[in-house]
Amino acid sequence: MGEPQQSRRSVEQMPMDAPPPRIEAEAMDGRWYKTSDKPQWIERLELDTAGDATYVHIFGGASPSPADWGRVRIQWPYASASNTSSAKAGGFVAQYDFDEMSVEVQANYNLGLLVVATFVTFKQPGALSDRFTREFFFRA
Amino acid sequence: MTAAAETAALALDAAVLAGEWINTNAEAGIARIVCTSQPDGTMRVRATGRTAGGEMEEWDEVDAPLYSFTFESRQAGAFSAVFDLGYEEVRMQANVKAGVLVVASFNRFKDDSGRSNYFDREFFHRISKG
Repeated sequence: MGEPQQSRRSVEQMPMDAPPPRIEAEAMDGRWYKTSDKPQWIERLELDTAGDATYVHIFGGASPSPADWGRVRIQWPYASASNTSSAKAGGFVAQYDFDEMSVEVQANYNLGLLVVATFVTFKQPGALSDRFTREFFFRA
Repeated sequence: MTAAAETAALALDAAVLAGEWINTNAEAGIARIVCTSQPDGTMRVRATGRTAGGEMEEWDEVDAPLYSFTFESRQAGAFSAVFDLGYEEVRMQANVKAGVLVVASFNRFKDDSGRSNYFDREFFHRISKG
């Protein structure tokens, strides 16, 4: 497939000055706690932004989730709307690498909730399956 | 058992994902997703996007790792896929809930167009099983 000349992402066809607007990732900053009373994969997480860098620190819940995942820089923040000129934060992607598994974190921020999905991939086949999780968090 | 057979034996069952999925919103950006199970137990996914003129464009088929909803299950309920359109990367997050394929996409522009990366969420229903 060649590079599309006209894609759905070019629907707006609006001329915009580069660079793109800075996405206001700090809108997601804070301490986020799970909405469910039941044990889950992620217990809580924290987001903080310093300049153009945003970091996420995840604390695990139910096994085999590590108790403290550590703090990593998110790869990219994403805007909340597809008008391609928005600067309002809408989500982020981050990667964690543990000895036994890698985890891609994909989160979106909407209506005051942080919806956090993870793709858990084990490095060696074993008794546990690779798993998808999707959990909800509110800000303290 | 051969290595390929062993891999297939360990693979998750992708029955609830395999097939052709159509967007519930006829005007949405991603019109169609086709999930194809492979003999070795893996899955490949291709998608059809909508152009500015309303025409369809095909995105190259990619490998889509499978994920279950619990660590103990052998049934896949979700997949991830990354489409590289050249000017843009689309990270697709998909899972089945109540027969609906819920697709979140994280869209990151790689060109110098000045467009913001953005998040999107769309819903699909299955019109044929794989």
